[in-house]
Amino acid sequence: MTKPIIEVKDLAKNFGKNQVLKDITEQVTPGQVIVVIGPSGSGKSTFLRCLNLLETPTSGEVDFAGENLTTLDTKRVNELREQMGMVFQSFNLFPNMTVLENIKLAPMKVKHMDDATATKRAHELLKQVNLDDHADAFPASLSGGQAQRVAIARSLAMDPKVMLFDEPTSALDPEMVGEVLSVMQQLAEQGMTMVVVTHEMGFAKSVADRVWFMADGFIQENSTPDDFFSNPQTERAQDFLSKILM
Amino acid sequence: MKKRLVLFFALLLALVTGFTTLTTTANAATDNSLTKIEKKGTLVMGTSPDYPPYEFQATVHGKTKIVGMDVAVGQKIAKDMGVKLVVKSMSFDSLLVALQTGKVDMVISGMNPTPARRKNVAFTHTYYQGGYSIVINKSDKGIYKNKDSFVGKTIGAQTGSTMYNESKKQTSGTTVKGMTSVSDLILALQSHKIQGVAMEKPSAQAYVANNKELAAIPSDFNLSASDTSASVAFAKGSTALVNKANKSVDQIKKQNLVNKTYLPAAGKYLKTNTVNTSMFHYWKAFLTGIEYTLIITVCSVFFGFILGVLLSLARMARGGVLKTALRWLATAYVEFIRGTPMMVQVMFVYFGLGLIVNLPALTSGIIAISLNSGAYVAEYIRGGINSVDNGQTEAARSLGMSSGATLRYVVLPQALKNIWPSLGNEFITLIKDSSIVSIIGVSELIFQSNIVRSDTYRGVAPIAVIMVLYFILTFTASRILNYFERRMQHD
Ligand SMILES: Nc1ncnc2c1ncn2[C@@H]1O[C@H](COP(=O)(O)OP(=O)(O)OP(=O)(O)O)[C@@H](O)[C@H]1O
Ligand SMILES: [Mg+2]
Repeated sequence: MTKPIIEVKDLAKNFGKNQVLKDITEQVTPGQVIVVIGPSGSGKSTFLRCLNLLETPTSGEVDFAGENLTTLDTKRVNELREQMGMVFQSFNLFPNMTVLENIKLAPMKVKHMDDATATKRAHELLKQVNLDDHADAFPASLSGGQAQRVAIARSLAMDPKVMLFDEPTSALDPEMVGEVLSVMQQLAEQGMTMVVVTHEMGFAKSVADRVWFMADGFIQENSTPDDFFSNPQTERAQDFLSKILM
Repeated sequence: MKKRLVLFFALLLALVTGFTTLTTTANAATDNSLTKIEKKGTLVMGTSPDYPPYEFQATVHGKTKIVGMDVAVGQKIAKDMGVKLVVKSMSFDSLLVALQTGKVDMVISGMNPTPARRKNVAFTHTYYQGGYSIVINKSDKGIYKNKDSFVGKTIGAQTGSTMYNESKKQTSGTTVKGMTSVSDLILALQSHKIQGVAMEKPSAQAYVANNKELAAIPSDFNLSASDTSASVAFAKGSTALVNKANKSVDQIKKQNLVNKTYLPAAGKYLKTNTVNTSMFHYWKAFLTGIEYTLIITVCSVFFGFILGVLLSLARMARGGVLKTALRWLATAYVEFIRGTPMMVQVMFVYFGLGLIVNLPALTSGIIAISLNSGAYVAEYIRGGINSVDNGQTEAARSLGMSSGATLRYVVLPQALKNIWPSLGNEFITLIKDSSIVSIIGVSELIFQSNIVRSDTYRGVAPIAVIMVLYFILTFTASRILNYFERRMQHD
């Protein structure tokens, strides 16, 4: 068996008295695509943000490539974050920079890549997401679908080992969802390890290796998409699926 | 004599006295005040050069210099001590504080030795015994004879001065109008808003000599000698120095030097000074004013901005005891600065810090205004940083950028863009507010215009000139700022 790249052990997270994550223990192995689904407010975003320590876990540990993130100093955490790209629902592009500058910023400031190399790499990534003709545009002039593809390219510029997606298509007009999902599908086919929080059940069925169903602070089910959608085990999951399939 | 009683200065004086008595009582027993001056080789005289013929600025061969009978008195004292006289100008109200904080060695500024002042400084014998006159329009010469002729009329006097208080006390049925500057009073007289101006005899003579429309009449006020006499002030406890100066003062009196030599000499300067009262003649003075106003503003904006960034970061520090302490300190600083007048801060830096290090007035002014501006800029920046969406920080951190790099490359550029208009306003406000440092004698625009006013006896023209100059400065600045603001707009 291959060694897991992400290992979550007894993870819990409280916001004040609100216990959002109660006790989560799961693993992600390299090349896997995990789709996390669950009702709104069940803690999916919180869980994802605990993986790259944007949120500090209340207890338990998160191991990345064998290192326990919760015990490392800030400098090392920053280094490991480079290896975990994150894509947000609201894109979070830097509005004061062009598309190209958005992509080049972190490689140049964090990896100290020279300008020419960074520019070359940025153009390659923009070609990969079909947006090379928008290199000099500012984010405000892009459509939602274009902005999200730039955000994906920006994360890829750091050559991450894992990509985290938090509802990447939820803020998009329906006709733009497809272009973003197809970029994600391509990534999966190239062997990228991905943890994706989404409500796109079609994507889960066709691309995911495992589906994690989250509710009430726990991962209630961890199964293949086929098993999960045709034969959900818990009442919680059956209830959830009956509502969204209607 | 000039005797402005501004409460604030009295308080400051008291404060400084408290400080200095603490530090000077130790060496009061051995009075080395005279030997110190002799060793130094210079005697620094503080004066407020807006009071001809006592002291005023004159343009001699294209250079402005402080002249007048008080300067002649100072020169005599210095010469008798065998040292060089250095004249330092500042506002009248600041003189005694400057004396106590050691910024000047003596004060000669038509100052009369009142009991209140005697508590804080040591005076020599009087070198001049003045009196009061009332200046009127020449056309009214037959109508008014003395203070009692103004029943139902208005006479003016400098606010807070002895003349002002005595005019109120010793007339009945007469309205007494106070204004801060004598040039304004003369202007009011010539435009018939008031019918007479009470002022000191030599000043009255100077005004009458230089303006054919005016005449002087005796005031006939009942006055005690101490109200009309002028003395030289030294720091308290410097007995040796006072004794030495008294010898010079006694000679001046015995030989009647003031009336025989000093006043006529001063009168000559007044003549050359007022030959050409066109504002163009004074372009150099205004240029100096612009230069200093810009130096103060640009330096203060620069240092204020740096301080503002540091303060805003300190105010947002979260974490351990150290960071919490830092946050509290920064918050306290910002609140304190915003809760006290800039004028007090300028005085405090110049005189208060002056007890520890001797800073020139310009440096003090820049420090004070930077410290002040920093507090305001900090609040703008803090608001700017808070206005940047948290998602920006999260995106940068998720790319592996440190918190410092995130702030520098992602958050601050956006924050600054958001607050650029506020920062621009702050810059323009500083151009105007820098005028406050005129009180410690920095030759910025206001200070220069006051000097031109007292030199030319023209009240309005210099004000109109600096008004236009200020407008040109602020308008140009706001155009430049707008240009940069437009360049920053991408969306
Ligand atoms: N920073 C925070 N401070 C306090 N409470 C928070 C914070 N972030 C999230 N929560 C709470 O944690 C719970 C889970 O939120 P989370 O955003 O993780 O859910 P989610 O499953 O992603 O929901 P959605 O599908 O709506 O995105 C919610 O009750 C939310 O109010
Ligand atoms: Mg969420």
